[in-house]
Amino acid sequence: MATDIGRELDGNGLRAGFDLGDPRRLLRGIAGIVGFLALWYLVSLTQPAYVLPSPAAVAGTFLEELASGTMTAALWSSVRHWLPGTIVGTGLGVAAGVAFAWSGLLDDVTAPLVRVLRPVPPLALIGFAIAWFGINDAGAAFIIAVGAFWINFYAAYGAVEGVSKDLLDVGRTLGVRSDLDMVRSIVLPASLPGIMTGIRTGLGRCWMLVVASEIFGVPGVGREILRASNNLLVDKVIAYILVLSLMYLLVDVAFRAAQRRVLIWQA
Amino acid sequence: MAGVNGDPADVNEDPATETGGGSSETGVVVDGVGKTYDGEGDPVRALEEVSFGVEDGEFLCLVGPSGCGKTTLFRIIAGLADATDGEVRLGGSPVTGPTTDMGVVFQEYHLFPWLTVEENVGFGLDRSDRSAGERAARVDEMLELVGLSEFRESYPKSLSGGMKQRVAIARALAVDPTLLLMDEPFGAVDAQTREMLQRELLDVWASTGKTVLFVTHDVAEAVTLADRIVVMAAEPGRVREVVDVDVDRPRERGDPAFGEHVARVRELIGARA
Repeated sequence: MATDIGRELDGNGLRAGFDLGDPRRLLRGIAGIVGFLALWYLVSLTQPAYVLPSPAAVAGTFLEELASGTMTAALWSSVRHWLPGTIVGTGLGVAAGVAFAWSGLLDDVTAPLVRVLRPVPPLALIGFAIAWFGINDAGAAFIIAVGAFWINFYAAYGAVEGVSKDLLDVGRTLGVRSDLDMVRSIVLPASLPGIMTGIRTGLGRCWMLVVASEIFGVPGVGREILRASNNLLVDKVIAYILVLSLMYLLVDVAFRAAQRRVLIWQA
Repeated sequence: MAGVNGDPADVNEDPATETGGGSSETGVVVDGVGKTYDGEGDPVRALEEVSFGVEDGEFLCLVGPSGCGKTTLFRIIAGLADATDGEVRLGGSPVTGPTTDMGVVFQEYHLFPWLTVEENVGFGLDRSDRSAGERAARVDEMLELVGLSEFRESYPKSLSGGMKQRVAIARALAVDPTLLLMDEPFGAVDAQTREMLQRELLDVWASTGKTVLFVTHDVAEAVTLADRIVVMAAEPGRVREVVDVDVDRPRERGDPAFGEHVARVRELIGARA
């Protein structure tokens, strides 16, 4: 996971990943999936179902869960954690990152605090989630928001710090006088590629955090995975992992399309 | 270009002459400018008693060996850095910060990559009190001036180095500054493009009547362009001599007078204090 984020933050974010546009890449990708399924099938023949069920068994469970309505209910519940958590965490993270990187004063005041809070994993805050919000959607959304916050905070902070001083000088010679005008007209657009890479990384990370955020009993996809794990229902575990993967893929493809449109000047 | 003289940006000239201490000083005056950097260890004297003037409508080049503080002086004149001693005056009033009376062009273009060519050119106009109609007309005029009208919707990324620098020049001129201040603007393009841009700049200068202060380390470039050349010496950076270039335009590099001036300036740069 760490390497995944590293790669996406490398700045090559627009190209990395699954590209539906190139038929040759698409074909190779399909070949990879087919190969993986074949390997999985062969290995599953040698193992009992509670260690590794066959792809067909997983597909069967997937359809059963879908037909019974359990899956859609769990997904809908998780979306209610993911969406507000991601939106709030991303918004606050970007805003704080931009503000702290731009304002030396804010940065000085908050730097020690940031160093202390940064290493705390979102999962460690479950106690606070329960105490502040209770065992409910808001509590789960809080865990997700914390994860989204830090990714976006650092991405935005780094992006603003990386804005060329020369562009700011050019702005001044062309009549930019206020901080507000400078941030709006130069700092934000110049750091937008970095900020969007952070948002995209955060979107994916938040789907991963869905599992963690539901560990204390809030219903959702994560809860289904945890419960199935406890009962050694590996087929169900994989079926719900697939749900997360599909959601991630859907969101990522949509965001990438939006990113390309917004950053058209980079193409 | 005559039509632009009535533009609102010119209003700035009135307070300038009023606050000029009663004198009717025109052009740019660099008056006893010194700069000391207090780094770790001993303070470094980057500029010492630099004084010269640029007359209205004049094309002045600033040349010197590396380390002579050309860029420091450029930033002080542009109002992007403070002088330790002395001051710079534009039209009689001291420069205390960046002003739209100066159009600044940097070596590395520094276009705004997220804006199209016409949005880049219009950036300064958006911050002046021009109407939308005036703005559009001015952008058209500037794009025409640098020959980039058909690239108005392009993003900088798709432009060549020479085209980028044309956009930067148009952007700097759009707000109708009295002074065009350029720091090695053609240093990053190939020799052929450089000569073309030099010719174009002389055309722009002739048609707009702007005062130009042009920093370069290329002596032949200075002799090609300038009315006068301020030759600087290093450690600390100071004015060694001001050379008049008495060669008729257009100047040819094969012309003996051209060669004499180049040799003279090179000698001044190479000479020890």
